[in-house]
Amino acid sequence: MSVRETIYAGLTVLAAATIATAAWADGETIAVFTKNQTNPYFQAVRVGADAAAKALNAKTLHYIPTKPDSIPEQLSQIEDVVVKKPDAIVFTPVDYKAMVPGVEKINAANIPVVNITDRSAAGKFVSFVGADDYSLGLETARYLLKTLGGKGNIVIIEGVKGSLTNVDRVRGFNDALKENPGTKLLASQPGNYQRLQALQVMENLIESHPQIDGVLASNDAMAMGAIEALEGANRTALVIGINGTKEAVDAINSGKLLASGDYNGFLQGCVGTTIAIRSLRKEPVVPEIVLKPTVVTKANYQSYETPIESRACPTWDDATKLGAK
Amino acid sequence: MTDITKQAFAPARAFMSDDLLQVFYRLAAALLICLALAILSDSFLNLGNILNVLRQASLLFFIASGLTLVVLTAGLDLSVGANVALSACLAGTVIHQTGSPALGVLAALATGGIIGLLNGLMVTALRIPSFIATYGMLWVLNGLTYWYMAGEIIHGFPAAFRQIGSGYLFGLPIPVYLLLIFLSIGTIFAQRTIWGQEIYAIGANPVAARLSGIPLSRRLLLVYAVSGTMAGLASIIFLARLNSAEADIGESLTLPAIAAVLIGGTSLFGGVGTVFGTFVGALILTLVLNGMNLLSVNASWQPLVTGVIVILAVWLDIKARRRGE
Repeated sequence: MSVRETIYAGLTVLAAATIATAAWADGETIAVFTKNQTNPYFQAVRVGADAAAKALNAKTLHYIPTKPDSIPEQLSQIEDVVVKKPDAIVFTPVDYKAMVPGVEKINAANIPVVNITDRSAAGKFVSFVGADDYSLGLETARYLLKTLGGKGNIVIIEGVKGSLTNVDRVRGFNDALKENPGTKLLASQPGNYQRLQALQVMENLIESHPQIDGVLASNDAMAMGAIEALEGANRTALVIGINGTKEAVDAINSGKLLASGDYNGFLQGCVGTTIAIRSLRKEPVVPEIVLKPTVVTKANYQSYETPIESRACPTWDDATKLGAK
Repeated sequence: MTDITKQAFAPARAFMSDDLLQVFYRLAAALLICLALAILSDSFLNLGNILNVLRQASLLFFIASGLTLVVLTAGLDLSVGANVALSACLAGTVIHQTGSPALGVLAALATGGIIGLLNGLMVTALRIPSFIATYGMLWVLNGLTYWYMAGEIIHGFPAAFRQIGSGYLFGLPIPVYLLLIFLSIGTIFAQRTIWGQEIYAIGANPVAARLSGIPLSRRLLLVYAVSGTMAGLASIIFLARLNSAEADIGESLTLPAIAAVLIGGTSLFGGVGTVFGTFVGALILTLVLNGMNLLSVNASWQPLVTGVIVILAVWLDIKARRRGE
């Protein structure tokens, strides 16, 4: 936890609906909405948002549901923020469809809002900043299949069924498999983005499939769960995950994990917040930045070892080159 | 023991044969699922797979076994999952800081036990209904864990410690030994000791139990402390198997643990049920997931299949017992 941050936690269960983090700088206030406090990815988004705000002499106010990914909680946080009227909002919907009424409330209150991570199904946004789950899944799977020489028995461990990120990542995995007719998909089973479930799924699949060469997991936690199962059964397979978490980078370093698709929460937080502040200052912005997929591997993991707290946001010129359309 | 207490126990004894009958039917339901899976899948009856199922069921059983005692007193402990998460994160820190797995185990058991005691105190001294006391505790624990972990993951533990979760002894996984030990202790405690019988009596009729001289508060304190300590034990198994601790592991554990208790035939109204029944309940839930993985059931259908089989298993049992009577 950074020293800069002060945490005001509610004292009662009901009042605990919001946790706000305030930075010391003055200037514009940017309200940053993320999905939960548990996923390291959103921690990276918040650190990125804080870094951008600090660099531009603005301040952030974080809104995070206490119950991870809670739709009603994020809706009530929006009602709260519309009354408080921050200068701008950086918004990750906990659900890209269900939060549309919330986005409409923000629009009605005339607060400029930048959409990051999950693209909202509707609403007016200054800009969208995100990674493309499909190409991230495709590129990371391609890397594994290339390492296997375009052949082998593959298992997919899916995330939460029906979540936007998972649908696109799994579609990317499957398209990469189609490009490699020498591969065989043995099973595509759900691990719900949970480490324990992925471990158990993998233990079960190890029993029914004597030869597994590659595992494509929709996130890093599940990839790590699968690796534990393989190690426990004295089996080896190449495993990839997605998100580029610190844990995954460590595992790539030690050779346990082959690769991880970098979802780059830090950059999304940085660029989303920078765009919000630039639009308030009437500086030019771009309507959309979809980050090009980057695969973290043994060849490039060193640059990911810097803790996110000590990383710097890219300059605006560099940021627009990250994949602006 | 006074004569009055002995009389109070007489009805509790009468429940016993009923309980055994019930466990027999539930066991039959579990065996029916096994039979179906053995026919449908070649790999189900592999020794490796059977050990898998037992090892996977053990984690659920540890959480659910302590919970069974609480439910026997007509109470509920909704904080078990959140307890596992906090205990795992604290124990993980202790192991990382001190390098001593033994201190980590102690930290997990102590954290779990203290949380359980606090639950017990809320229920006895403050007379807060257990559902609300433990629901409040669930949020307090989640809040503490999210704050403490701040989106980080603690991972990488000594190999010796990980043996607790993934090691083998004479061909059997260590968690399976622990399962057998705690199943025996739980069964003997509930069925063969005076304290166990008093717990049944409290659940069956708290007024009669108090009038017959059973120290109600102390026994309730005991069951909540046991439930908390078992959650602490589960957190050790979790840490040792997954080689990591993160803040969001609890939520997906609570409801299955309650389901295991109830599927195992323990009544929410108290006084009826067995620890062995809970083991069978945990086994049924684990078998369903194992079977779906082995048969490669499409991820979209898995929640539905789980629901239908759980309902069918309990309905068949009720029907069979009615016919029996």
